[in-house]
Amino acid sequence: MVRRVLLPLLMVAALLMPRLVSAHDLFPGFLELQATGASTYQVLWKLPLLQGQRLPIAPRFPDDCALQGAPVSRQEATALVYKAKLSCREPLEGRVISIDGLASAGTEVLLRVRPWQTEALQTLLIQPEQPEAVIPTASEADQQPGVWSYLRLGIEHILLGVDHLLLLLGLVLIVRDGWMLLKTVTAFTLANSITLSVSAVGIVQMPAAPLNAAIALSILFIGTEVVRFMRGQTSFTLRHPWVVACGFGLLHGFGYARGLAELGLPHHELLLALLLFNVGIEIGQDVFVVLVLALERAFRQLQIRWPVWVRRVPAWTIGCAGAYWTIETTVSLIKGGV
Amino acid sequence: MPLLFAHLMQTGFGGFYDGIAHLFLTPSDLLLVLGLALLAGQQGPQGGRLLLTLLPLSWWIGLAVGQRWGLDLTLALLSTVLFTSVGVLVALSLRLSVQVLAFTVAGSGLLFGLINGFTMPSASSGLPLDVLGVVSAVALLSVLISAQVAATRSTSFCIAVRVAGSWIAAAGLMSLGLLLKA
Repeated sequence: MVRRVLLPLLMVAALLMPRLVSAHDLFPGFLELQATGASTYQVLWKLPLLQGQRLPIAPRFPDDCALQGAPVSRQEATALVYKAKLSCREPLEGRVISIDGLASAGTEVLLRVRPWQTEALQTLLIQPEQPEAVIPTASEADQQPGVWSYLRLGIEHILLGVDHLLLLLGLVLIVRDGWMLLKTVTAFTLANSITLSVSAVGIVQMPAAPLNAAIALSILFIGTEVVRFMRGQTSFTLRHPWVVACGFGLLHGFGYARGLAELGLPHHELLLALLLFNVGIEIGQDVFVVLVLALERAFRQLQIRWPVWVRRVPAWTIGCAGAYWTIETTVSLIKGGV
Repeated sequence: MPLLFAHLMQTGFGGFYDGIAHLFLTPSDLLLVLGLALLAGQQGPQGGRLLLTLLPLSWWIGLAVGQRWGLDLTLALLSTVLFTSVGVLVALSLRLSVQVLAFTVAGSGLLFGLINGFTMPSASSGLPLDVLGVVSAVALLSVLISAQVAATRSTSFCIAVRVAGSWIAAAGLMSLGLLLKA
């Protein structure tokens, strides 16, 4: 009876899950202020688009500041980009700017500032709980390690990236022993680090629409392999999961790089920012893998004998999410853009 | 209507992670879950399984009730007495009957869920990710700790568990003293 009721419910939940928790993109706003004079600035504002809709956030400058002329705008895949000149009576350094609507939008804004008469770029992360920041002075910009924001962004990118986490879960579920798990996770890590790096510095670029479809397809693929594993069958993937992890790692690395590309990298700290973003991603991945393994061990220690249909839930979830995202991204690809 | 909502911890990683952080940054909640996990682990795998089933469920129900009706209850004294008692039980390493353990776990979950519900305004739309985060963290911590305690039978580990229980009880007694003085 329980099985008859719960089974369809779980299937429906698995089918709805990807709608509720959509494959993510990184959606922080981005504001860059480059001083062109003592109190004049070149402003670049990237307003994120969430499913084609503008997020209701906007920078608020002090009252004595005004835009010079109309801002120039252009639309990118996931953001509207505005460029404008800003003129203030007093320099912005040491003063507060805020982001309207940030608290309710639940996202963040990466603020990058180059004060007057310095080449140092200062990076700050403005968060919903405190939607304002003090613009650093030239001496502060020279000293502060704002590039550390990229570590947090890397961790955030993986923790909010349900698609990446589902792929990892699938890989963990199909490996049979500790040594193979180590090989698989290492292959995935190395591979995504390579493509993240080469893509972030612009050596190789991959268009967003086919990339999203390929990432979704990789999740669907791993879902079917988990099912195969649970049925006691075998395949190339199940015999050599590290090879597939390497291939999919290359693919997902491009996905990470897209998130990073939305933010841009500070040119003078390019390598450090890239490294920190990558380290953040690896920290997030490793924490997730350790958690899954610890849970599996705990269930064994408690001698929990899950019914077969419960054991199938992870595979269904991965497969259904992968199928949904594959269809969604393929339709977008066919329509001609994401 | 309550006049004031204690705000939820904001990690900047979204509601789910805010919910997880809420458990880890609320000492009374954390001590209760730790205490119950140690207590259930002392009863063996069966205790751990019971904890995993009942605690997240009762916590969720308490949360839903607390959010729905926004009960303006402080209950600080009761919740402190509760986690102190759990600490004492762990320190004494008592064998409890299944019924007593189930009652303790479900009652604690309901009460602490209720208090949590008051501190978390319900989401106006979409999934209540903060609630999901709190309940997931409760389930995760419960299962990881109780499983380890249930599986380890060495004398020194059992003593360490009892010592941990005594620390929970001591923290509870200190809190009680402060509460009564205030």
